[in-house]
Amino acid sequence: MIELTIDGKAIQVPPGTTVFDAARMNGISIPTLCHLQSQTPVGVCRLCVVDTGARVLGAACVRPVEPGMKVQTNSEKVLAARKTLLELLMADHPSPCARQEKSGDCELEVLAKEAGIGTPRFPRRTISRGQDDSSLAIAVDHDACILCDRCIRGCDEIKSNFVLGRMKKGYSAGIAFDLNSPMGDSTCISCGECMVSCPTGALTNKSVAGTALSTGADSALSVEELHKLPVFAGVSGTFLELNRGAIVRRRFRKGDVICREGDFGSTAFFILEGKARVSISTPIAHVKTEGGAVGFFKRLTSSLVAREQDKRSEEAHDRTIPIDASVDLAYGNPVAELGPGDLFGEMTCMNFYPRSATVRAETDVVAYEMLRNVLDIMQKNKTFRAQIDQNYRRRALESHLRGVPMFSELSPDFIEHLKENVELIRYAPGQVIVRQGDPADSLYLVRIGFVKVTEEYPGGDLVLAYLSRGDYFGEIGLLGGGFRTASCIALDHVEVVKISGDDFRQMVERFPTIRSGLEKVANERRAANEQRLQMVESVPLDQFLSQGLMEAQSLLILDLQNCTRCDACVNACADAHNGVTRLVRDGLRFENYLVATSCRQCRDPLCMVGCPVGSIRRRNSLEVIIEDWCIGCGLCARNCPYGNINLHPFEVFADDPETPGRKKAVVKQKATSCDLCTHLKEPSCVYACPHDAAHRVDPRKFFGQMFGQAAAK
Amino acid sequence: MARTRTTKSVAQRIDLNYFKRATPFKRLRLLLVVGIPLLALGWLVWRGVMRDSRVYSSGNLSNSHAVFERQCAACHVQKAGEFSEQAADSACLACHDGPVHHEEQVKADVPKCATCHVEHRGRIDIVAGSNISCSQCHSNLKVAAGQLPYAAHIQSLEDGHPEVAVKRDNFKDPGTILLNHNVHMKLIRRGPNGPLVQMECWDCHRPEAAKGSWPYADASYVDAKVTYESKDVLLPVKAGWLWPRHSMGRAYMAPVQFSTACAACHLLTFDKRFDVGVPHDKPEVVHAFLVKKFQEYIAAHPAEVRVVREPARDLTGKPLLPEVRVLTPAQWVSERTADAEQLLWRKTCKQCHALNAVKDSSLPHVAEARLTQRWMPHARFDHDAHRGFSCVGCHPGALASKETSDVLVPDLANCKTCHAPGPEHAESRCFECHTYHDWSKRKEVKPTFTLPALSRGK
Amino acid sequence: MDQTQRGWVIGSLVVFTVSAVAYVIYAEESPAGPSGGSFMGLVFGISGFSFMIFAALLGARKRVPTWRLGRAQAWMRGHLWLGLLSLPLIFFHGGFHFGGALTSVVMWLSIIVVGSGVYGAVLQNYLPRVMTHDVPLETIYDEIGNVRRALRMEADKLVENVCGRLGLVKEEEEGQRAGGFTALRPIAASAVPLRTSAGVSAGASAVAMAPEIVLLSEEESKPLRLFYFSEMRAFLEAPAWQRQSLGDPERAKNAFAALRRMMPPVAHPALDDLLSICDETRQLMRQERLHRWLHGWLLAHIPLSLALILLGAIHAFMALRY
Repeated sequence: MIELTIDGKAIQVPPGTTVFDAARMNGISIPTLCHLQSQTPVGVCRLCVVDTGARVLGAACVRPVEPGMKVQTNSEKVLAARKTLLELLMADHPSPCARQEKSGDCELEVLAKEAGIGTPRFPRRTISRGQDDSSLAIAVDHDACILCDRCIRGCDEIKSNFVLGRMKKGYSAGIAFDLNSPMGDSTCISCGECMVSCPTGALTNKSVAGTALSTGADSALSVEELHKLPVFAGVSGTFLELNRGAIVRRRFRKGDVICREGDFGSTAFFILEGKARVSISTPIAHVKTEGGAVGFFKRLTSSLVAREQDKRSEEAHDRTIPIDASVDLAYGNPVAELGPGDLFGEMTCMNFYPRSATVRAETDVVAYEMLRNVLDIMQKNKTFRAQIDQNYRRRALESHLRGVPMFSELSPDFIEHLKENVELIRYAPGQVIVRQGDPADSLYLVRIGFVKVTEEYPGGDLVLAYLSRGDYFGEIGLLGGGFRTASCIALDHVEVVKISGDDFRQMVERFPTIRSGLEKVANERRAANEQRLQMVESVPLDQFLSQGLMEAQSLLILDLQNCTRCDACVNACADAHNGVTRLVRDGLRFENYLVATSCRQCRDPLCMVGCPVGSIRRRNSLEVIIEDWCIGCGLCARNCPYGNINLHPFEVFADDPETPGRKKAVVKQKATSCDLCTHLKEPSCVYACPHDAAHRVDPRKFFGQMFGQAAAK
Repeated sequence: MARTRTTKSVAQRIDLNYFKRATPFKRLRLLLVVGIPLLALGWLVWRGVMRDSRVYSSGNLSNSHAVFERQCAACHVQKAGEFSEQAADSACLACHDGPVHHEEQVKADVPKCATCHVEHRGRIDIVAGSNISCSQCHSNLKVAAGQLPYAAHIQSLEDGHPEVAVKRDNFKDPGTILLNHNVHMKLIRRGPNGPLVQMECWDCHRPEAAKGSWPYADASYVDAKVTYESKDVLLPVKAGWLWPRHSMGRAYMAPVQFSTACAACHLLTFDKRFDVGVPHDKPEVVHAFLVKKFQEYIAAHPAEVRVVREPARDLTGKPLLPEVRVLTPAQWVSERTADAEQLLWRKTCKQCHALNAVKDSSLPHVAEARLTQRWMPHARFDHDAHRGFSCVGCHPGALASKETSDVLVPDLANCKTCHAPGPEHAESRCFECHTYHDWSKRKEVKPTFTLPALSRGK
Repeated sequence: MDQTQRGWVIGSLVVFTVSAVAYVIYAEESPAGPSGGSFMGLVFGISGFSFMIFAALLGARKRVPTWRLGRAQAWMRGHLWLGLLSLPLIFFHGGFHFGGALTSVVMWLSIIVVGSGVYGAVLQNYLPRVMTHDVPLETIYDEIGNVRRALRMEADKLVENVCGRLGLVKEEEEGQRAGGFTALRPIAASAVPLRTSAGVSAGASAVAMAPEIVLLSEEESKPLRLFYFSEMRAFLEAPAWQRQSLGDPERAKNAFAALRRMMPPVAHPALDDLLSICDETRQLMRQERLHRWLHGWLLAHIPLSLALILLGAIHAFMALRY
């Protein structure tokens, strides 16, 4: 036992104890910033300096006691030093920082206030180290960071994730995630330890959606309850505490609607008990305008017709409807059941896409409703992931596999074999899944999220397609030449099912018929892609490009020299589509032509990104087709950069939610865009213009002469 | 911070249903589109309520029908059950008679009244038909059988109109009265009122209705009754089919009569003993007059039965009569009568008339005068309309004519000097001289039309 | 007018010449002169009237634009040429007489309608070019009210960003708007923007960034506030005068140059934006005027033509009857 004096008090402590601990053991508190009980002390902040009688003041948290030490923790010198230190730190601190604002307990600011520091005398640092908003759970404000290293030690020592480190030097020094990646893109698993360790507002809990979930009659879960769940086993208690409001246990009575298709939301649901029914209540039908070519006097009406009544050559056949749950809905009977252990609403929660289907409780249901930060934690948790994977494999994988036309005849045991051997891989937004030119070794099926397929060509990248849940890619590479012919990039949080090359070849050996089917599809795809590539030329003009006209394959242009602004085209379009026009006679001009606001059949169809049920798509004809199961959420309309998609309301008889078994007239919406009046063989607007001013043209061919002239100049 | 303009931001300013909204323009257009036709309809309805069908008239009525401007039903007769209410011939015939033009006319080709008499052309003379009304047949006239007695290709006065008939083919005046116009138009040495008389056309030729005294008339002859009938003197008038002009009695010159034109100079004296002349009558009447006259005379002068031969009076070669003869009164009368008749038959009457000896009779036969009363039976001419012109202006031949057989009626060229198409000429259309309807067959229409109060319509 | 019309021109000329020759012959031949009721007169009358009926049917055709009854362009050309031809035919029909009351009215209506039609056709050839040239920022005429309102709100916001709250009323938006606007259902307030395809193709959908908030002091922003309330806002609300103040491009430029001198440089971008809003408002005024010219004649042409058809039919009925 070593004896020493602290502030005149004689104490005895075992050897190896630090001065700080010694003081603490004896009821004397010394203010610290970089020291945490649970972490190895490093002595970087120097706030705990005490006068030990040495030449200089020493940091109490790292100085081990020596026998006969006389320690002064609050002499003039010590107090002055502390005050100066605090003042220096406060000079660079963005007061009040996020933490101080939210909870008033920024350690630095509290200490500074206690020390009586008002406005620091020193000028603020001019370099801003910035903020990092990329993580879903934690907000990073580098300007508030005092480089105390608590987060680094927390991540290393306590959680052993080793994500955090230091970077740069001087005034630019700061903490970094991995090799200075944004936090959300790093290997951080959002356990929250760093945030809990941070004394200032440098790392704060993000409050998503403004607030925690309203609980109502249900209860927020206590930390103990949360910890009981296997998924939360490894998560820091404090973090859970902070995020308590983000997960709520909900009880639903039999018959309650848990969520409605088309609504925008931000939460996911995890069923604990009970069964729920998931269905799509919008009529599974597409907008068809008919009556045109047959007789003079038939009135043109737009109506909703299903696939049986009106087969369209471009539409998908025998598909299941992909939704944001662990199971897909069959086209003919879009109803399925969800039970305990099922997670639904992932896409809505992570990416704020609209709800893809309606879920109604069939029995009394208990489910967790959670916000994104909690879902993120759960998804990063291995146990949880395993459970989700298993669910997917069990329920949806088969239908996805069967959804790939060439796999439809596989024998059940082969499917079983596949199901056990596929990999489920997650990708972050922007990550490249496969790159053009790489050797091809796997086939991918998209389970959730959106994948962009692009090909490189001299002028840039050409987007070939957007793939969503249930789509597959990579077969071309597998079949011929063994190299990827396009790049596939994740647009948002994507999860894919990867079927390895070996399994694939095994498949092909056992089922030769598949090979021919595969080859056929592959050839079709190749031919279509080549066709698209051929259309691409390379002499762009600025304005033409800047309006996105290069991207268009078909423009509706109005010759302003002839147009008398009589609205005949708009009236004709509305007449052909039951009163809702799909063309607006306003937009930007190009030369003497007005480029009307009407679908342009873009090469890079932005409208397709994000459809929660994957109903807006493009087949090889390059025309946009909206499948029958559009739920009218309007995302495609928002995405279209030209505003060419509008929603068309229909009154349909749907099940009355209040009185089951009865039907009620409700208004459902379906997205519509210019369909080139294919049912009438000529666009109505062009047909109806009395002054020969409306034309549907291929912009490259039509404006080609201008290009030629401009190029010649 | 520049304002950005993108297709989407531009499009989002626009209401999707803008074209369905009512705009002031559309409202105004609707108002006008409904209002103006309603106004038009209202106008017609108002006129209908006012029972004024004149709106539907395609022009004002002619002068003669102007009084019926509002009585559409006067002409527009609706046959029961038929749609058309065209002006029917029956309506015209209710007031007018339109006798047939020619019996040989093909029934099917008979035009309707309205073909030539066009109404609703304003205040014109409805009788004034266009040349085409006539030339539609006469430009190419055909007969079913036989020779066409008329010119076949008449288009108008200037085009295809034949010459006046009596001026063609050396036509000769059939009159038998010997007349030398030339002698009469020169200065005449001896006239009733003294020497050197200059006669004028008017002295002999006047229309019937003309007033005024005849300078060369003899009152006793004027008042005398004659036994010959006018049909013995005049050729029959074949122009009864022509529409009589209003200036009746002044259109044509009356036939020249002895009593009013000749008597003053051409004395019909027969004997020194008497001042009077013989009656201008048939030879029988003259003979009877002579006999009576001489009988009265010898009864009054019985001493005259003693006739003394005039020494110087006999002509050579004639056997001498005894110096004194005493005759019976009867003998004296017959002798004197014979002398007078010889004078008359051989000189006085013969000066103008054509006398023919009749077998077994001492009295000659006076040929019918055969004066032509109407030279142009198919056309009408109104001297009164031309009264401003001098006679010799159109009849220059009269001054030089020495023969009775000369036809002194002017030729067509004379008419055409004034009557030609164009505003600076006199009327030259067919109706000016010709008529279509055969007025000789005219039936009198019993007037049934009553004129209701003009302020009301039908 | 271009060579695509050649077929119609030639056809019309042929019809006109043939009927003119026929008329001359008929006029010479007819006993009573040319009359509406004669055979040739009826031929002219019926063909002229049927041309007019076809011309009038254009209005009906436009109501069923998608029925396959022939292209709108063909109907338009037919309307123009046959309508034009109908006038000489009616003249031939009437023998150049105007006739009685009803027929005079119908004749005058024909002349006015065909005349206004020719006038309108000339306008429609000429004015679109003028509009295209003079109004680069053209929008849909019926929506000019809404667009002006949007401009006004934008100007309000710009001025508020510089001067602070002005207490201007925010107007409510109604209706279903185009451009995919209608698609939006209320979305959670602090929504993170969706991660769509990175780098939208060729920069086509540059999202309008929120204007910078400058917020000058009361003193500094006074010139702008004064100017805005005294002149510009009234101009944006009801730009009635063409030559007054901001309606004249020169004066607007000068006014804003003066403002620019009086305001600190940090406010200049906002002033530039306001000037461009003025410019756009002015262009919309011009568009309104041109549009009214371009369509105003229809207010005479259409009702009178319907009256013409009505009266013409009545005339035909009555004339055939009597």
